[in-house]
Amino acid sequence: MAHRLLRDHEADGWERSDFPIICESCLGDNPYVRMTKADYDKECKICTRPFTVFRWRPGRDARYKKTELCQTCSKLKNVCQVCLLDLEYGLPVQVRDTALSINSNDTIPKSDVNREYFAEEHDRRARAGLDYESSYGKVRPNDTILKLQRTTPYYKRNRAHICSFYVRGECTRGAECPYRHEMPETGELSQQNIKDRYYGVNDPVALKLLNKAGEMPSLEAPEDESIKTLYVGGLDKRVTEQDLRDNFYAHGEIESIKMVLDKACAFVTYTTREGAEKAAEELSNKLVIKGLRLKLMWGKPQAPRPESETSEGARQQAAVAHSGMLPRAVISQQQNQFQPSGPGVQDQAPPMQYFNIPPPPQLDRAFYPSMDPQRMGALVPSHDGENKSGSEKHQGMPPAPGQYPHQHYPPYGYMQPMPPYQLYPPYHSAMPPPQMSSQHYQHSGPLRPPPLVSAPLTSAPPASTSSGSAPAVPGPSAASESSHQ
Amino acid sequence: MPKVKTNRVKYPEGWELIEPTLRELQAKMREAENDPHDGKRKCETLWPIFKIAHQKSRYIFDLYYRRQEISKELYEFCLDQGYADRNLIAKWKKPGYERLCCLRCMQPRDHNFATTCVCRVPKHLREEKVIECVHCGCRGCVSGD
Repeated sequence: MAHRLLRDHEADGWERSDFPIICESCLGDNPYVRMTKADYDKECKICTRPFTVFRWRPGRDARYKKTELCQTCSKLKNVCQVCLLDLEYGLPVQVRDTALSINSNDTIPKSDVNREYFAEEHDRRARAGLDYESSYGKVRPNDTILKLQRTTPYYKRNRAHICSFYVRGECTRGAECPYRHEMPETGELSQQNIKDRYYGVNDPVALKLLNKAGEMPSLEAPEDESIKTLYVGGLDKRVTEQDLRDNFYAHGEIESIKMVLDKACAFVTYTTREGAEKAAEELSNKLVIKGLRLKLMWGKPQAPRPESETSEGARQQAAVAHSGMLPRAVISQQQNQFQPSGPGVQDQAPPMQYFNIPPPPQLDRAFYPSMDPQRMGALVPSHDGENKSGSEKHQGMPPAPGQYPHQHYPPYGYMQPMPPYQLYPPYHSAMPPPQMSSQHYQHSGPLRPPPLVSAPLTSAPPASTSSGSAPAVPGPSAASESSHQ
Repeated sequence: MPKVKTNRVKYPEGWELIEPTLRELQAKMREAENDPHDGKRKCETLWPIFKIAHQKSRYIFDLYYRRQEISKELYEFCLDQGYADRNLIAKWKKPGYERLCCLRCMQPRDHNFATTCVCRVPKHLREEKVIECVHCGCRGCVSGD
């Protein structure tokens, strides 16, 4: 007897697809993904039509995710089939629609047969190849959406769900329980509804995001009027100087761009203060180069350093020079002026003219560890075996410790220079944005001025206890540094 | 009336030695079968069945192959009467499967992507250390660990 199918799938026009329409976060961090495909397995959460369900595990610590919406519905709103966030920006539908002023809500019916009919029509037309109006491709991204968009995938979404037994105190599975043993987050945000989220109506997350967008802090200009330099952080080897130039030239004439790849940062100096301010204003929260969101802040202002007797050489090498903008190679060159042995010190090609310029004004504080060679691990007579600096420029130092009178260190509470790499985490990971108005990177060199108003987290621990701005010192720094008092 | 042949079980010698344990195991199995399902997950209700079946087979397998305390005749008798699972014991004779928990866990046809159950993965290769496989509640039946 001939087999008769219960339903003739073709006739019904149920949806079949080959691959899900999903965003990066939902796909996971693992390049190897095993996905099961089940035709007509479940009904779409919005249009309730059967569709092909894909199920996979987005990474090692993730739960299994499956597509919740059919492809027709997801294409109508340009969202991921699983998380219902926009495919390009990673934002909820409501946020994207308000930011880009798209309103398609009237065209999509929401109830019953109307909805199913619309979805089927749409599907039929799409399959027939008729180009329905997809407004999402044509919209130009505007400022707000660039500020709000998610640039990196967010894998926390893929964690296991909360163990409801644990919440009641009754989870008997113990260690093998695959669900999270944490208390659920309560509050407004936890009452979300898939239909609301899809249609972009009454979505608490979207409302919160929109409110936040309205109040995003802008970069305040520092009081010191001479600063024309902006700090750009979060760099990567993909970002080149040319990229920075392209982004920054529009706001003013660029005097110089210095990239410090070791620290994943760069300094852009304008010839005029206004140019710098304009750039800061325009790019403050929106700087995204090659998909990498970059942090923009003002360069460190100069402040007088209360150093007592320091020899010129030591001062200079401790001093950062030039609004803190000199590349390390130049500083090392200055050091080498006092030291005959300085083999292969430059790691960057130094601009030769600096040699002839009279020594730059002394700064009492080096802004970044890279600016202070002692922080980079330069050898000082009392610190043996401190050659752990990765920077080869200091190899010239050890043989001539005499240049650095030992007595410099105690007054400044000098600590053992840390290997450079341990210093970096404080500078790049702990960045409390609101406080970043003027002085961000406190530098705990041999100069211990009265504590600055600065981001406390970013200071490598100062030895002098009077410096109040050293809370939350990262572990390695705290452990390995000791005061030389 | 023609003579009706009845099948009467004739116990071979040595049966009296193993009978008490086997009866005990059978009683345990009946108890597991009649257990209420409250407080247990759907899959978890079947775990004791698999566990006891494994135990019974293990007992007979050990007696014959490891300790050599029963005769081949008695061994075959037990298998025929259903006191042990012949197929499971067949797997135990193979290298790598000496501790196999149940036949479902190593059957690729029963799993997605033609793999085996997680309980067949050695502990040092697994990410989660504590698992209970969904088929039989096994915590790891690899021969190594």
